[in-house]
Amino acid sequence: MPPDTHMGDRRAATVIAKRTARSAARSAGLWGVLFGGLVAQQTLSYHTSFPTAASRHNLMQSFGHNAGLNAVVGVARSLDTVGGWLEWRAGGLLVIVGAVWGLLAATRLVRREEDTGRWELLLAGQTTRPNATLQAIFGLGGGWVVLWTLTAAGTIAAGSNPDVGLAVGAAVSYATMVTASAAMFLAIGALSSQLGGTRRQANGLGAAVFAVCLVTRMIADSIGGLGWMRWLSPLGWVENLHPLTGSQPLALVPIVVLIVATSALAVTLSARRDVGTGILARRGAAVSDTRLLDSPALLVVRLERPGAIGWTIGLALLALVFGIVARSAATASPSLNRSLVQQVGRLGGHHVSAATAWIGYEFLYIAALVAFAAAGQISAMREEEADGHLDNLLARYLRRSTWVDGRLRFATALVVAISIAAGLGGWIGVASRNSGVGFTAMLQTGLNLMPAALFILGLGTLLFGLVPRLAAPLLYALILWSFLIEIIGSSITSNRLLLDTALFSHLGPVPAASLNWTTIGTLTGLGALAAVAGIAAFQRRDLVAA
Amino acid sequence: MTKVPAIRTVGLTKSYGSTVALRPLDLEVSEGEVLGYLGPNGAGKTTTIRCLLGMIRATAGQAEIFGVDAQAHPAEAHRRVAYVPGEANLWPGLTGAETLHLLGRVQGKVDLPYQEELVERFSLDGSKRVRAYSKGNRQKVLLIAALSSRADLLILDEPTSGLDPLMEQVFRDCVGEARARGQAVFLSSHILSEVEALSDRVAILRAGELVDVGTLAQMRHLSALSIDATFDGPPPDLSRIPGVTAVEVQGNHVRCQVVGSVEPLLRALAASGVHQLLSREPSLEELFLAHYGGGPASEKDAAHAA
Repeated sequence: MPPDTHMGDRRAATVIAKRTARSAARSAGLWGVLFGGLVAQQTLSYHTSFPTAASRHNLMQSFGHNAGLNAVVGVARSLDTVGGWLEWRAGGLLVIVGAVWGLLAATRLVRREEDTGRWELLLAGQTTRPNATLQAIFGLGGGWVVLWTLTAAGTIAAGSNPDVGLAVGAAVSYATMVTASAAMFLAIGALSSQLGGTRRQANGLGAAVFAVCLVTRMIADSIGGLGWMRWLSPLGWVENLHPLTGSQPLALVPIVVLIVATSALAVTLSARRDVGTGILARRGAAVSDTRLLDSPALLVVRLERPGAIGWTIGLALLALVFGIVARSAATASPSLNRSLVQQVGRLGGHHVSAATAWIGYEFLYIAALVAFAAAGQISAMREEEADGHLDNLLARYLRRSTWVDGRLRFATALVVAISIAAGLGGWIGVASRNSGVGFTAMLQTGLNLMPAALFILGLGTLLFGLVPRLAAPLLYALILWSFLIEIIGSSITSNRLLLDTALFSHLGPVPAASLNWTTIGTLTGLGALAAVAGIAAFQRRDLVAA
Repeated sequence: MTKVPAIRTVGLTKSYGSTVALRPLDLEVSEGEVLGYLGPNGAGKTTTIRCLLGMIRATAGQAEIFGVDAQAHPAEAHRRVAYVPGEANLWPGLTGAETLHLLGRVQGKVDLPYQEELVERFSLDGSKRVRAYSKGNRQKVLLIAALSSRADLLILDEPTSGLDPLMEQVFRDCVGEARARGQAVFLSSHILSEVEALSDRVAILRAGELVDVGTLAQMRHLSALSIDATFDGPPPDLSRIPGVTAVEVQGNHVRCQVVGSVEPLLRALAASGVHQLLSREPSLEELFLAHYGGGPASEKDAAHAA
């Protein structure tokens, strides 16, 4: 009997969409858990932090006119309701995280597939370039559905608490708002993948769009009379949705139009360019610059420099913003202050001032991001091996230990640079508002970011030596777990055993606590030991391709 | 004093779980010698090379490069080696010239005037980024980097994949020059004409096992001779004559293979009124195919069959 060719045709017509959806869903699942968890935690903690009408009124009074905070997470509305609190506190942050996730996921699944040559294999099947791009976009859509579902699930679960009483419809609208930026930037990433010649260039273009959107929205949110500018920025449209405080579904129109138009443009452009090139790609020729090509250690600087500069500047700016808003944020409400102090106390801090408690708490976010940057260096090390680049070096007069050593030196320098930059950024922020946190305290706060990241580098080297393919996923999972335990766990449990599994909980919320030299020494020492063991393991194992 | 061989393996073995990728391999390559390393896909050619370079750990046995244990001290063993991998995986953001600079620095030894000459001979535009290069151009970068190091041992893993016939000729000239300078070359290749033209000795690998090694003359001597004979009338039955195999009859024409002494066959032919007789040594292709069941049998296989 002849095979059922119609079935085969149908399956072939959706193979790229399914493949992309599977990968996108894996990543979206991880982030969806974080989104849903954070929203649930913020929902449930609102009533304990602001138990009385007076405390909520106070909260609204203080944040309604805080330009610094408005710029970061958007204008606060109706903070006397849990809806207003959710839109502003969790929504403002997650909208930004979602946009970054969407961009990176899209360029990874569209552009990196092309960079590695796998796209060409798929295109050789029963498809055309525009059809394949369209399928990939549908696949990315599948990933977004997972993110939306998990966020909605977290919101509905927490909203059904009798104290909260959030309707299912409102929770679903809220999840749509929180993940709308992810959907838009998935589409923007698919478009920038057509414009740039490599994933790195596609990321750069997408990041530029993101920066323009963010700055436009920040100006609109912080300067009186310029509120109309929110309509100029996709991130402003998301803010304008206000699903829980006077819904404005009109703002969904530009969001949907942007997604459809950007996707359509990506599909059209994919038909107009050759595979492996980009519409705006730099031409192949360049003037030779051999300054950073004299040794494998310098090569790392050449390859990783753009990302390293981005991380350092980005986290310094984030610390600056945290510093600027510290005083007003922490003194906004005595009850918020009490809950913050309580939480910081659970994390091992002793109350110095409201601003120090706030800084100590917010710098946990930065600590997690510095750890992410460190894990990124381990991931880059593995990519050099997986892509076969390392063979060209190790076939010559170069010891494996020397190569790893060069990479780790750069990664360590990066962690130190980011930590000091974040400490300095934070200090400039607090000093500009006379928040009463001194230079030494802020420098210590910066230094306190280092031990966890250094431990991640050491552990990452060990994993790289033992299970190279799993090293990066395991590291990212550990950081995410630590962060969740730290943020959510510390407000719902005081189980020491559980809290101890989180990396950051051992360090204490400096500047609200003093530097814990024992822990710093232990984490750094363990990291160094793990790195030594990892180098030894790497020297004994086979090089493994992707 | 005996010279230290460029490559020496003793019982070199590599297994992945229960899969044996390389059975105990004993092989030597002398200084100034070109060894052609042949085998079909998956025979273990690249596994041998990666063991030799210490990129993968041998399950058992030894691999030495100029007397240095390549598994225990890979970097030291690489001091006198230049390697061209089968796949040119280079950093896409670097230009060809930048890549040559980097690889030269890591190699530690470069003959710069020769490198410039090679760039010219291979017609490489070094100002382009690697991502803009074709597969052949990326391969040229690695070939130039290896050749310009003037290393005492060149390990080349299918080095001409992607090169056009003109560049293939330049490559052959360069390998000839390297041999003339006394450099040893370990050449793994699928291109039999390339191996035939360049190699002093040939090693043939099958399913991870070395099945034959020697000069082409030795291999031919041990292998079947092709005989074409035309008779005045119907040809006699040659299939019973010792050493004769693969008999094909077409009218008055007979084609067969003979292994070992040709005397019994010649006697039979002379007694049967042979009109025309042609004998031919096997080509490398026929020798190669003989080891994989697609062509005339070698003496060893004939012996197994007997």
